[in-house]
Amino acid sequence: MTPERKVYKRDVIIEVTAKLMSPLILLFGLYVMIGTGGTGGGFQGGTILATGFILYITVFGSEKGREKVPESVNAFFKSFGLFLYNGAGWICILFSLAAAQWLNMPAFWPVTDFVGIAGARSFMVAYMISVGIGLTVMASFVSQYFDLAWKEDDEMEGDEG
Amino acid sequence: MRPRGMKTLTSFSITIAILLTALSIYVVEDLPAFGDENSPVNKHVKLFSVDADGMAESLNAGVLPTEIKSRIEKMGFNKEENYPTLEEGNYKIEYIEKGTWLGGRLYTDSGWDVLIHEGEIFYNEPQQYYFIKEMNGNLTVYRYNWPVRVMERTEEETAIINAVGSGLADYRGYDTMGEETVILTGAIGVILLLRRRGRL
Amino acid sequence: MEWLIQHVLEKYNFWVAMLIIIISLTAVIVKENLLKKLIGLSIFQTAMFLWYVSLGDVGRDILTTWGLKTGTPSILWEEAAEKGYIYANPLPNVLMLTGIVVSAATTAVALAIVIRIYQKYGTIEEDEIIEKEMEFEREGGELKNASS
Repeated sequence: MTPERKVYKRDVIIEVTAKLMSPLILLFGLYVMIGTGGTGGGFQGGTILATGFILYITVFGSEKGREKVPESVNAFFKSFGLFLYNGAGWICILFSLAAAQWLNMPAFWPVTDFVGIAGARSFMVAYMISVGIGLTVMASFVSQYFDLAWKEDDEMEGDEG
Repeated sequence: MRPRGMKTLTSFSITIAILLTALSIYVVEDLPAFGDENSPVNKHVKLFSVDADGMAESLNAGVLPTEIKSRIEKMGFNKEENYPTLEEGNYKIEYIEKGTWLGGRLYTDSGWDVLIHEGEIFYNEPQQYYFIKEMNGNLTVYRYNWPVRVMERTEEETAIINAVGSGLADYRGYDTMGEETVILTGAIGVILLLRRRGRL
Repeated sequence: MEWLIQHVLEKYNFWVAMLIIIISLTAVIVKENLLKKLIGLSIFQTAMFLWYVSLGDVGRDILTTWGLKTGTPSILWEEAAEKGYIYANPLPNVLMLTGIVVSAATTAVALAIVIRIYQKYGTIEEDEIIEKEMEFEREGGELKNASS
C-alpha cells in the first residue's frame, strides 16, 4: 500500500512558465471582479484568483507553496470577506427593523449626500459586496486544495487516533 | 457473468428508471418552446379574457371598468393577501403603440399598460403590473412577470448596467449573503475531516 | 408531421438535458467504485443547470429562419436600440449561480470523506468494504489493517 518514493525530475520549461503566468492570471481575475462596469461579479472573479495560486502550488509542491500562502494569511482572508458582506447585511436588517425586502442601507449613509441613492447603491454593490465574496471564495478554494493534496509519508504505521 | 465493477440491475431500479422517463415526457409537454418571447417565463402570463362592450373608451379616458377590476380581485390579487389594490387615484393607464422600444425590449403588440403607484419608501414611481390587449372584439388581461421590471428599472434605481449582477447583489442580496456562509462552511468541513494531529 | 415538429423539434433543449440526466443517474446507481459515483453526481448537477438556464434564451426562431436571431447577454448598452437586439432573460442565471456554488462545496466535502474511507479500510471498491464490515461484526474484534 505504500509505494516507494519516486524522485521527481525538475523541468525548466514548466517552472519558468508557471512563474511567469501566475501574476498575470491574478491580474486578470481582479479585472473580471471590478473591471469596467463590473461585468463579472464576485463568484467568477474569486475563482480565477484561486486558479492563479493553484497553478503555482501544483508545479512547485506543497511545501514551497505553503511559504507563499501561510496559514495565518489564509484564515484572515476567509473571515475578512465574510465580515464585510455579513456586516453590511445585518446592519440593514437592524436599521429597517427586520421588514426589509432588499438592501436599503444607502438611505441612511452619509454617502448619499454626494452621489444620490442610485450612486450609493452601485458603490455598495461594486466595492463592498463583490470584494467580500471574491476574497472568501479565493481563500476557501486554496485551503481546500491544500488539504486534499497533502501527501503524508509516515502515516500507515498503526497510529491510534 | 457480469463484468467486474458493476452491480446487477434489480427489477426495482428498472421500474424506477421507467417511471422517471414517463414523468419527464409528461412534464415536457407543458413547457414553452425554446426561445419564445412571449412565454410566461419571459414576459407575461394570461389571466382571462372578457367581451369588449365599449370598455375601450373608458380605458382611453383612464378609468378601469368595474367588471375587469372585480374579476382581478376575485382571482386573489386583493388586499388580504398583501397585493397592491386598484383604487381610485392609485393607478394610471397608458396606451403604447406596436414597435416602440421601451425599457430594453420591443413591444410586439399594441395595448394598454396599467401602472400602479405603490407608495413605498425607495420606489417612488409607478410600477407596471397589467397589460390589456384588444383582439377580435375580446379584451385579454395579462400580468407582467418580474424580469420585465428588473430590465426596465435597473439603470435608474441602481447605477449598475449588469442585469445579472444587480439581480444577485441588490434585489436579491440576502440570498447571496447566506450563500457565502455555505462556502465558508465547506472549507471548515474539509479542515475538520482531514487534519488530525495539528499538522499543516 | 405537424405533431412531430411541435412536440419534438421545438423543445430540443429539454430532450438533450433529460438524456444527460438519465445517463448520469444510472452511473450513480450502477457503478461500484466510489470515485466514479462522485463523477456521475457532478455531471448530474451540471445537466440540471443546463435545463434551467436554457429556459431564458430569447429570439430563436426555428421554423421560419434557422436560428438566425439570438438574444444578447443582459448588459444594458446604448447601441442595442438602433440595431434591434433583444436581451436575454436574466432571471434563470441569477437563481442558478447559488446552485453552482452548492455543487462545488458538496464535491469538496465528499472527496474528503472518500480519503478518510481509504485510510481506514484500504480500498475504495464497495463490495470489499461491505465484506470487511461483516467480518468485523462477526468476529467482534478490531480490523486487521487498522490505521486511523
